Amino acid sequence: MSDNIRNYVEKLFEDAPKTRKATELKEEMIANLTEKLNYLTEAGKGEDEAFNIVVSGIGDISELFESLKEYSGYEPLQYQLQRKKNALIVSVSVMLYILSIVVLILSSEMLQLPGSISVSFMFIIAGAATGMLIYNSMSQPKYLKRDETMVEEFKEWKASQNKDKQIRRSISSAMWTLTVAIYLIISFAFGIWDISWIIFIIAAAVEQIIKAFFEIKR
Amino acid sequence: MSIASDLIRGHTDTIILAHLIEKDSYGYEINRTIQEKTGNVFEMKEATLYTAFRRLEQAGCITSYWGDENTGARRRYYSITAEGRKTYKNNKAEWETTKELIDRLI
Repeated sequence: MSDNIRNYVEKLFEDAPKTRKATELKEEMIANLTEKLNYLTEAGKGEDEAFNIVVSGIGDISELFESLKEYSGYEPLQYQLQRKKNALIVSVSVMLYILSIVVLILSSEMLQLPGSISVSFMFIIAGAATGMLIYNSMSQPKYLKRDETMVEEFKEWKASQNKDKQIRRSISSAMWTLTVAIYLIISFAFGIWDISWIIFIIAAAVEQIIKAFFEIKR
Repeated sequence: MSIASDLIRGHTDTIILAHLIEKDSYGYEINRTIQEKTGNVFEMKEATLYTAFRRLEQAGCITSYWGDENTGARRRYYSITAEGRKTYKNNKAEWETTKELIDRLI
């Protein structure tokens, strides 16, 4: 009799998407329905009657298949938390960038500090903001597969590729900000404008090295 | 007695969470308890029940694991998470308020 349940459910699932989730759901349903069938027959129902009660209790299965196919309504919790964290870090970073200019104006105009010190203040703050942005993009979670199909596997692979690129971009932008900072600071501090431009050439070389490092890692 | 299944269906998630707060459970046990508690008046359709499980799992309200029965097919157990308890509390509070309003209106 319980074989009938299995056959019936197998037939129901013929149109279901062929995913691991669907197989698990099928097993879960067979286990539960079989238990219900046994319960009913023990309670004194005839075999056919019990089987009919079980089958009619299943209801409209198509809505269930929808939930196996694609991800429905709710966003996975992990994503939600991550999005909140993202938003916080990015907004604080932007605030720091703006503050850095304010600090520059305040310290040079109001406090009459020498230019080199004011500029250093500005870049320290801007540097912190850039660091936070890099941390943010590096701590991005990997793409969560929504089911076990090839399409989702491809998306996951693609996302990991993009992440590498993102990290490289952030490091590069941080490095150039830093380069300008060092250039201005040492030029102001030591008055060596005639030679200090060489730092840009060094920075370009460093960027190539970083790029090479990422290529090797892949 | 006629019952408004649609009205109840809107609370499927909360009903399941209420059951899981007491103990970990599996599909048929939950449904049988619902039947017993309502004096055989109400029983959920399997499709509705499993759809709700998937929805709740995706929302992080419940987690599932396979039992280790020796005889026959294995049961899939569900257990409630901290997030699920929070959702249950919110939903219940919402329902209390709504019930009071409706009682005053009809």
